[in-house]
Parts: sequence; structure tokens; C-alpha cells
Amino acid sequence: MAYSDKVIEHYNNPRNVGQMDKNSTAVGTGLVGAPECGDVMRLQIKVNPETRVIEDAKFKTFGCGSAIASSSLATEWVKGKTVDEALEIKNTDIVKELALPPVKIHCSVLAEDAIRAAIGDWKKKNVALGEQAAVPVAIAAN
Amino acid sequence: MTVVAEPSKKLVCWSCGSDNDADAQFCATCGKLQPYTPTDYFSFFGLPRRFVLDRVALEKQFYQLSRKLHPDLYVRAGAQEQQWSLEKSSVLNDAWRTLREPLARTEYLLSLLGIRLEEQSRDASDRAAASGTVKQQVVPSDLLEEVFELNMQLEEMRMAKAGGADDPELRRDLEAARENFYQQLKVSEQDLQRLWAEWDSSADNEATRQTTQEKMVDLLNRRSYIRNLLRDVEEALKS
Repeated sequence: MAYSDKVIEHYNNPRNVGQMDKNSTAVGTGLVGAPECGDVMRLQIKVNPETRVIEDAKFKTFGCGSAIASSSLATEWVKGKTVDEALEIKNTDIVKELALPPVKIHCSVLAEDAIRAAIGDWKKKNVALGEQAAVPVAIAAN
Repeated sequence: MTVVAEPSKKLVCWSCGSDNDADAQFCATCGKLQPYTPTDYFSFFGLPRRFVLDRVALEKQFYQLSRKLHPDLYVRAGAQEQQWSLEKSSVLNDAWRTLREPLARTEYLLSLLGIRLEEQSRDASDRAAASGTVKQQVVPSDLLEEVFELNMQLEEMRMAKAGGADDPELRRDLEAARENFYQQLKVSEQDLQRLWAEWDSSADNEATRQTTQEKMVDLLNRRSYIRNLLRDVEEALKS
């Protein structure tokens, strides 16, 4: 299966690879994975507490080209957005931008999960600032 | 995969008209081969749905059935019986391959119970997106951390090797990690065996069954991560 030019571009020149101090209150960390393919993705955001704007984002992903490109793109997109705007990013936007084939859609889902997880972590750390802690989703019993 | 309900109906022999068990392969009265109706692998062998299964007995039954169902025996029979023997022989092989392996059997029985392992993660993502909350990861976060850290080490190892050097300290770390993961696989196997027995013996307790099923899914997800990691560790340690 051929990767699109955009995936290859992100894969060869990933943006914002790296890490931030996960103990800092300004930093939210999302670590997500998919057991089917064994991919793991860590996405971190640094949020300005006054403006709630995401000022920086870093990622590190172990996985296929599409997973790396999806998370690279996700860090580019969240930067400069407020946390609420960033929550609007949908995996389908990533699929469209990167022209991901159906078998690679789960990579974009992982990136969306990572954004949510990072923002959730930041909110949890900043409950004192009047943020609501992320409510964990109960696992459906049925 | 289609989920097939456990059969309860009787089967009337097409040849002599007498009553048989719904999952009978042959008429108990006249011995004629019965029509092929799609069924799950447990019913095909006339077995109850259980995680624990006597492999020796199953093997014996498999060989007996394969002799009796073999298409060669039906070359002089009617076209329909020829067709049934073909179909049944093919299902027999699939059923045997699936049921003889404990893990394949586990995944199969879970799928009959409506649990599709590959879709667990996607379903959790959908629920999170729909409710606007953080996704409940299908593997515990401590394992994700472990997986992440190990991948960092694997990357270092690959880079060291690409530079023509082998880092003995890193190698030792990876060997220790490999040992640790093999140990975890072993432990999870024992945990699975306990859960199988627990589920099998709680036919009258739906709540217990649900809990044990969920625990099995957790363990299987964990195992699939560990197996992928082990493959990568083995690859990196090869020199």
C-alpha cells in the first residue's frame, strides 16, 4: 500500500518530536495505544493558564508511518488553538488532510484520542484553576 | 462472524423421518448423513460452550468424524449428500483448528458471546468522542508506560547498532525486559486458566460470567501488546 505524499512528508520531517516535563502543571500528557497494532503515542501540550491557548506541543510515536504522520499533524494543529478549540479536532479531519486509506483510519483515531487525553490530563492538573476534571468513561457492562 | 444461537430444535431425518438431536451429523436410526446447517464450532462437535476442553477427547472425535464425513465415502451417494459431506468436512477442519488451541478457542467463544477483540479499542474511542470525554484505554496505563519506555530503549539499541556499536548496558536492559515480558505472559496464562474455569462453572450466574469475560478481554489485550513487544525485542537483540 502506498502512502500519500503528505504522510511521507510528515514521516520524513516529523514536526515537534520531543518531550516536555510531564510534572509541570502547564503541561498535559496523553499516552495512548492500540493493542491490535502495538502502536503507542505520547502527545504533550503546554497551555497558557491565562488564555488557555496551547503554546507548544510535542509528540513521540512508535508505530507505522500513518501513526507518526497523524500525531505530527495533530501537534501542528493544536498549537495556537485554545484547549476548547483543540477538542474540536476530529480524526476525520486528519484522515482527509493525510489522505489515509481505510485500513489506516485507526491511526488518526489514536491521534484524536491523544489530544483528548493530553487536554484531560492538563484539566485534571488544573482543577484548582476552576477546570473540571475529565470524567472517566465507564466501561459499558454489556 | 455470524453469531449462532445455541440450538434447541429437533432434527427430523430427511431419509427415514425419525427425530434426532439438532446437532446430529448422522441419523441415529438409519445412519444417513444429515443436511449441513451453519452452526457454531461447539455445536458442530456436540459440545457445550466452555473455555476448558478435553483436547484428547476432541482429537479422537475429530478423527472419527473426519473418517465418517470424508467426501470419498459419498461418491456413490446423491448430489445433496455429496455436497453436505464436502461442507461438513470443511467446517470440521476449521472447527478443529480453532477449538484445539486454547487461545484461538477463547477468542472464538468470546466472539460467540458478542465480544470482538479487534474492535474494543475503536468502540472505546467512539464512546469517548460521543460523550466528549477522555477515552478509556483498553490497556492499563502502567502497561502503556512500560511499552513506551521499552520502545525508547529499542530505538536507542537500533541507533547504536546502525552506528556500528553495541551498547552492552542497553543489551542487558533489553534482555531483562525480555525476561520480564516472558514471565508476564506466563502469569497471564495462569490467570486465563483460572478465568476459564470460573466462567465454565458459573453457568447460572450471569454477573460472574460478565466479570470474568471482561477480565479475559483485558488479559488478551495485554498479551497482544506484550507479544508485539517481544517480537521487537527479539529483533533488536539479534546481532
